[in-house]
Amino acid sequence: MSRALSLVVASACFFGLVGAGLLAPDHLSAGSMEVAYKGPAEVFPFGTDARGRPLTEYAQQGARVIVLPALVAGAAVAFAAVLGGLLRCVGSARVDSVIQAFSELVGSLPRMVVILVVALLIPSTWRSLLPLGLAWAVLGSPGAMDEAAAVAERLGGARFVEALKAHGFSWSRIYLYHIVALNLRPVVVRQASETIVQVTFLEISLSYLSAQKNQSSFTHPDNIQSWAALLADGYRSLVTSQPSGHALVLGLVLVGLVTLMARGFTVAARAR
Amino acid sequence: MKVWWLRPLVRLLAALVLPFAVPAIITALIWALPGDPAEIICPPERCGGTEVLAARWNLDQGPWHFYVNWLSSAMQGDFGNSWRVLQGVTVRSLLEESVPTTTLLMALGMLPIVLGSIGAATGRLPARVDPALSAFGVVPAVIFSLFFAALIELRYGAESFDEHARMVRLGVGAVVLGLSDGALGAAVAGVRALFSAEEKQRYVGVAVLRGEGVLANMLPNVSPALAGQLRARLVHLLSGTVVVEVVLRIDGVGDLLWQGTLLQDFGVVLAAAGGFAFFSAFMLFFQAVVEILVSLHVRRAPVLPLAPG
Repeated sequence: MSRALSLVVASACFFGLVGAGLLAPDHLSAGSMEVAYKGPAEVFPFGTDARGRPLTEYAQQGARVIVLPALVAGAAVAFAAVLGGLLRCVGSARVDSVIQAFSELVGSLPRMVVILVVALLIPSTWRSLLPLGLAWAVLGSPGAMDEAAAVAERLGGARFVEALKAHGFSWSRIYLYHIVALNLRPVVVRQASETIVQVTFLEISLSYLSAQKNQSSFTHPDNIQSWAALLADGYRSLVTSQPSGHALVLGLVLVGLVTLMARGFTVAARAR
Repeated sequence: MKVWWLRPLVRLLAALVLPFAVPAIITALIWALPGDPAEIICPPERCGGTEVLAARWNLDQGPWHFYVNWLSSAMQGDFGNSWRVLQGVTVRSLLEESVPTTTLLMALGMLPIVLGSIGAATGRLPARVDPALSAFGVVPAVIFSLFFAALIELRYGAESFDEHARMVRLGVGAVVLGLSDGALGAAVAGVRALFSAEEKQRYVGVAVLRGEGVLANMLPNVSPALAGQLRARLVHLLSGTVVVEVVLRIDGVGDLLWQGTLLQDFGVVLAAAGGFAFFSAFMLFFQAVVEILVSLHVRRAPVLPLAPG
């Protein structure tokens, strides 16, 4: 796929996601039992749930749950990757050792365990994906820093900076343009995109697991529905005769669109 | 790095710190949150006699007192009693029941990863399968688990927990763990990249000219990196056990940790998180030891035969 096409597809998914989140209602509408479990052909565009509420609202509310935390987490990982790459260009053994110690400690922690501990400590009145997304970003940052540092190392590290300085380039042109924009860009964008997808999957996983045990989710208040609700509702169509297969399809399509968005941004930012 | 021992030393230090750091961070977070720790752990609307509970759980004399008491008991294998998951039952007995299941699940989950890695290292697994593995790995564990859970429910029934159904759940869980979230794809791609980069080294060409095996020559040199990859994969699987065990209803440590989190059972969560951290630290220690041994071996001066006369 070409860079331009990837960017268009990724941007369309991104603005669709953000738009859906912004337009999400605070509460699901009352619905009508007469249109319970209607498919997309009968109630456009996505059909309805057991109480006749349109699944569009589920899709919008799910987008609202993930948009901000996923973007913040992605931005945090992107920042960490840039920092890791730039610090390697400093060429200090001491700085490298400190970063390695941080990476070893943080990278050794099983992510889900840390996420559950953070979830445990969040008061029930603060239920949000944001702290969990940020924790995920912190746990993912050593990998991003390592990869960006490896790119900077291959570039020549401190010697590359010295060479450009000798050519009379300003520090902003050296660090921001040549190192970050031209060389670290593919890694930074890919890491950020992957984090966005991972935070989305994390939200779906946590909400689904909570729903399975009949508990409130850690990631959103009870008046909001996550995309996991679509999957949980649709799952019943697989094991019972409940006609909610369209909910499962919608849930999977939404997950697929987020993955497509991340993939699109990654391809659009790849090195020439 | 200027000196060869700095990197393994940092790793060793991190391995020593990790099992103490995780409970310390959890303890610090409990006290960092606004409000009384005892009330956070057991809100007054859910628990009566918070002061008595605080004294019983060592929460009444500050974070250091709580941490030291928990740590000294944990070192003797005493993790206290479950606060909510199964009230009154010792956490140790809960762990003793769930650890073997999770160990078996992880061992089975490692099978495709180890086989894929061997295939990538030896070239038996062609590079053209990498994109397919990578695409397969995009599917998150929760969705994989969901479909397999449906299949099990249809085949064996929702409440099937006899030995046969249990083994099927474990097998399916291992497949999900091994394939989803990019576990197999990343392992194969990582090992392939490692070996193809090493293959370009001059000593490998020299070994070929001397009629020696390529893999046998490369293996000692890539073993620290392989140990690092093994550690990363195991930590990844460890994380994945939570989702797989809960969705597929496997009674392991991941399920226990999830129940502890949902029910705010700090006793269970501290013990499970400590256990996970200890395992992670062990893997870090293992990687550091491999690095040190390889570095010492590489630097060992060969004993040359004395020249005649």
